[in-house]
Amino acid sequence: MTVMATTAAPEAIQRFNDHEGSVARRRKLVTRIVTHACIWVGVILSLFPFYWLFAMSTQTTAQIFGFPPDLFPSNQLLANIQGVLDNVNIFQAMLNSFIVSGLCALLVMFFDSLAAFTFAKYEFPGKNALFRVLLVTFLIPASLSLVPSFVLMSKLGWVGELQALIIPGAANAFGIFLLRQFCETSVPNELIESARIDGAGFFRTYWSIGVPMMRGGIAFLGIFTFISAWNDYVWPLVVLVNPGTQTLQTALASLNTSYATNYGWVMAGALISVLPLIAIFIIGSRHFIANIAAGAVKG
Amino acid sequence: MAVLSRRSLLTGAGGLGLLALSAGLTGCSSQKSISSNPDELVLWYWNRSMNPSALKDASHRIPGTDRFLNPEMPPNSGWDTKLRTSLAGDAYIPDITAINSNVSLYFPDEEMFIDLNEFGAKDLKDDYFPWKWNYGLTPTGRMCFFPIDSGPTGFYYRADVFAKAGLPSAPDEVSAAVTTWDAWIEFGKRLKAKTGSYMLIDAYQLFTQIINASPERYYSKSGRPLYSEKNSAVKEAWDITVRAIKAGVLGNQQLPTDQNAAWISGKTAGHIEAVWWAQILLDTAPATKGKWRLASQPVRAGNSGGSFLAIPHTCKDPKAAYDFIVWSQSADRQAQAYNEVQLFPSTPGALTSGRMKDASKGFFGPQNSLDFFKRQAETVPAAFISTYEQIANFFTTQIVNVEAGGKDPDRAWDDAVNQTNRVLRKHGVNA
Amino acid sequence: MTAHTTGVPLRSKPRNTPIAASKTRKNGFLRWWPHYLSIAPFYVLFLVFGAFPIVFSIVISFTSWDGMGKMTFVGLDQYSYLLGDSLFWQSVWNTFIIWVISTIPMLFIALVIAFLLHQNIRMKSFYRVAFFIPNVTSMVAMAIVFGSVFSDQFGLANSFLKWIAGSDAGVQWLTNPWGIKVTIAIMVIWRFTGYNAIIYLAGLQAISTELYDSARVDGASTWRIFSRITVPLLRPVILFTVITSTIGGLSLFTEPQVLLGNTGVPNLGGTNSAGLTIVLYQYYQAFNNFDFGYGSAISWALFVLVAVFALINWRLVMGRREDQLGQVAPSLISRFTARRAAATKESTR
Repeated sequence: MTVMATTAAPEAIQRFNDHEGSVARRRKLVTRIVTHACIWVGVILSLFPFYWLFAMSTQTTAQIFGFPPDLFPSNQLLANIQGVLDNVNIFQAMLNSFIVSGLCALLVMFFDSLAAFTFAKYEFPGKNALFRVLLVTFLIPASLSLVPSFVLMSKLGWVGELQALIIPGAANAFGIFLLRQFCETSVPNELIESARIDGAGFFRTYWSIGVPMMRGGIAFLGIFTFISAWNDYVWPLVVLVNPGTQTLQTALASLNTSYATNYGWVMAGALISVLPLIAIFIIGSRHFIANIAAGAVKG
Repeated sequence: MAVLSRRSLLTGAGGLGLLALSAGLTGCSSQKSISSNPDELVLWYWNRSMNPSALKDASHRIPGTDRFLNPEMPPNSGWDTKLRTSLAGDAYIPDITAINSNVSLYFPDEEMFIDLNEFGAKDLKDDYFPWKWNYGLTPTGRMCFFPIDSGPTGFYYRADVFAKAGLPSAPDEVSAAVTTWDAWIEFGKRLKAKTGSYMLIDAYQLFTQIINASPERYYSKSGRPLYSEKNSAVKEAWDITVRAIKAGVLGNQQLPTDQNAAWISGKTAGHIEAVWWAQILLDTAPATKGKWRLASQPVRAGNSGGSFLAIPHTCKDPKAAYDFIVWSQSADRQAQAYNEVQLFPSTPGALTSGRMKDASKGFFGPQNSLDFFKRQAETVPAAFISTYEQIANFFTTQIVNVEAGGKDPDRAWDDAVNQTNRVLRKHGVNA
Repeated sequence: MTAHTTGVPLRSKPRNTPIAASKTRKNGFLRWWPHYLSIAPFYVLFLVFGAFPIVFSIVISFTSWDGMGKMTFVGLDQYSYLLGDSLFWQSVWNTFIIWVISTIPMLFIALVIAFLLHQNIRMKSFYRVAFFIPNVTSMVAMAIVFGSVFSDQFGLANSFLKWIAGSDAGVQWLTNPWGIKVTIAIMVIWRFTGYNAIIYLAGLQAISTELYDSARVDGASTWRIFSRITVPLLRPVILFTVITSTIGGLSLFTEPQVLLGNTGVPNLGGTNSAGLTIVLYQYYQAFNNFDFGYGSAISWALFVLVAVFALINWRLVMGRREDQLGQVAPSLISRFTARRAAATKESTR
């Protein structure tokens, strides 16, 4: 970062020197007001759909379909939720989503941190070539091989089973890459060296030095993986043929198709599917984004 | 010491991975059938495709067998996609399944279903409407799809809105006023001018229902495309629909949510659909109860929907499944299904049994909807639905483009013909 | 174990060099068995669930197969059909248009938001969460919400327009071909603007604050600071977001599928197939038409497109200086992830 900054700096400063002088207090105030106004417009646009989802899930279908729309919540929330519970096994779907996302996150955290630790701190034959392969796979979109993946799953006998969602994503290039960077900057070689002198083997070093020092990165990766697994849609849509194993996303899509006549239920279902994730995100946002700024400045 | 703890760590760390992998390995073949209980037969059906009370009876024991039924409504994000994905994936296939009126879609893979003639379905042939029975026969003559209900169609309309426009509003008057499609369009123009309401939600619905009422559809029995021939039924339906679009009598409401909103508000004051739609309307717009009436649609009634039952090849006990099908579709049971969930019978025996009664509960005011649909059923023409019917959906997508996208109708027609022909050639059909 | 208490401050850390594996024990490759074992899971999973399906899809694309019946070898027929398939080309065009009308406004707005948040303002962490939340929400639920906001009949968007511009106003968002594209683009913008803003913000904070301070002292206007300092210095980060948006944009699926899935013919993208994206068309051919062969051919066409776009991106943004793909990719991604990683580490203290 410093390299970039210094090359561009003199020129930029030069340019601003021409502008020297008047820092009118009024202009400063206007700038601040405009800044806050812009931010708040953005915040409202960003959060409004959530409010609207909530408002609609408290209304009857007739209210939702009414024109002009009713902007305020009504009193149908419990009735709508009841409707969802009576018609869709939403708890089973939620449990499945938790199993899939949770296991995915755990496996990714373990396998990725282990591989990242190795790539960051050890030399072994073929390392660079292997790492290059990993980088290329990073750029392949997941939706590319829908058909052959489905055929593969049917040959493995995994069609309709949750492991079809868990196993293929148990280790990924993104996470290894991320943690490798993390590990290179935050795990000092001296510690690993001294562990080696103490007689600790590779896996012990990983477990007792690598893991604690990568903790923050692993937590980030865990939340990240959990959220993307939770929101995955196209693959579960294809592979989960068993009505007993649906994830929240496919259950919700099916609620939307089957009960277009009762939109209050659809909205309540959507609300139920969104809430756990928002809760997890807000709890985890400390790891996720809160200190990106502070960290980046120091780095 | 170091070695020991490393090993234990290895075991611990690897355990997590092994746990997950073992979940995969033990499940090395997913279940072919949804239920592993040998006495349980799983039925897939969708809301309102079968009578819940019959399913409930069979869920204790299927009469005449020692099996019991487990009726399930699978997540519906496209029925055929769901069923065909299960069949292709060879996993979680139901023991019995309902299939909609588009059974011809399954003809190329007919070996996926059991031939019901093996159990003597042939003997029951005369008990059902011949046109309905014939839909269920595959091109090789196997009987794989057993009739459930049929769907004679009619013109649903809002009598109050019609009356407000100063138009005829009694069923007989309306039927008499719309004997041809052009009269129907003229009628709609007056309705639109007076009240701003539409006759029908969109061009898709009109086009589809005209085809549904036509004895000729897209292909001949030998698989030859008919649409591009001179004066074909498809072209005629297309031209009528285009005239209706230009006259402004269709609502251009392409999404179910918009359609529902428009029925509730009276923005759309009519619909052409089968008998089963009454129940959907009742659920969607309960407040409009008593304001709807039924009139004959122009020319003749069609058949829309009306589903079938089939037994996939993986069924645990095909004989018991067959027994269930025959039992649940007897004349008595079909009469009961009409009374309870308005599934119109596919067996004339139910209609003449005297057990059926008007089930509309005042939704159509004083009008008796059973008498109405009984009359309509007599005019439904027999038609041939080809395996390649789905390929012809270019015509419906193109008519939507004309209505919603303002596409030139002639160009849209040519595109539909060309696209359909291209796909047909891809499937080895000379077009 | 006191290891975790002795973290070395990032700024002053010495350049780490990887430690060679212990040389004293066994010979040959066996010596490195723990290292190979530790990286094996990714490669094994990738071979089985990543590489194999991609190779297998070539095989399927040479056949005619509905997944149930028998596979018939048809050579290049699927590909020659693809070249003349107007729907396929339309899906390419749609994907491209939606990508353009979503990515450009999105990245611009994100940059502005990041710049505003970078000012010394209060409640910064609340704003960050507020802007980021759309990105973590399921698109299925939100597509349903957007579907009702943009409904022709009862939608909020249209009643707002009518309120402003009179009762004749209103756009057929979900039936007009352009309305469909714009609605999908709005969903993409809504979902990813905050995400990109947070990335830019991290990039901004890596720029020396002295630069800003001196500019401020010199009385430079906010716009001048934005256009003369911020944007040029963020170039590599912007490239990263362009690449991720491209890959994301090319695989757009959930939004049109849920938004338009209930229309007449499902999964063909509504009126004039205006919302038919490449991945949606692939899904339609494979899982609505059960033409597995053709679906695989489409996925290969998509693969080629992704590769071409990735190359163009690199060329465009990295220019003449470094145009070797192998060199640019790692440095680029690492710049971004290092920043994220450093940040995440900080957050745990």
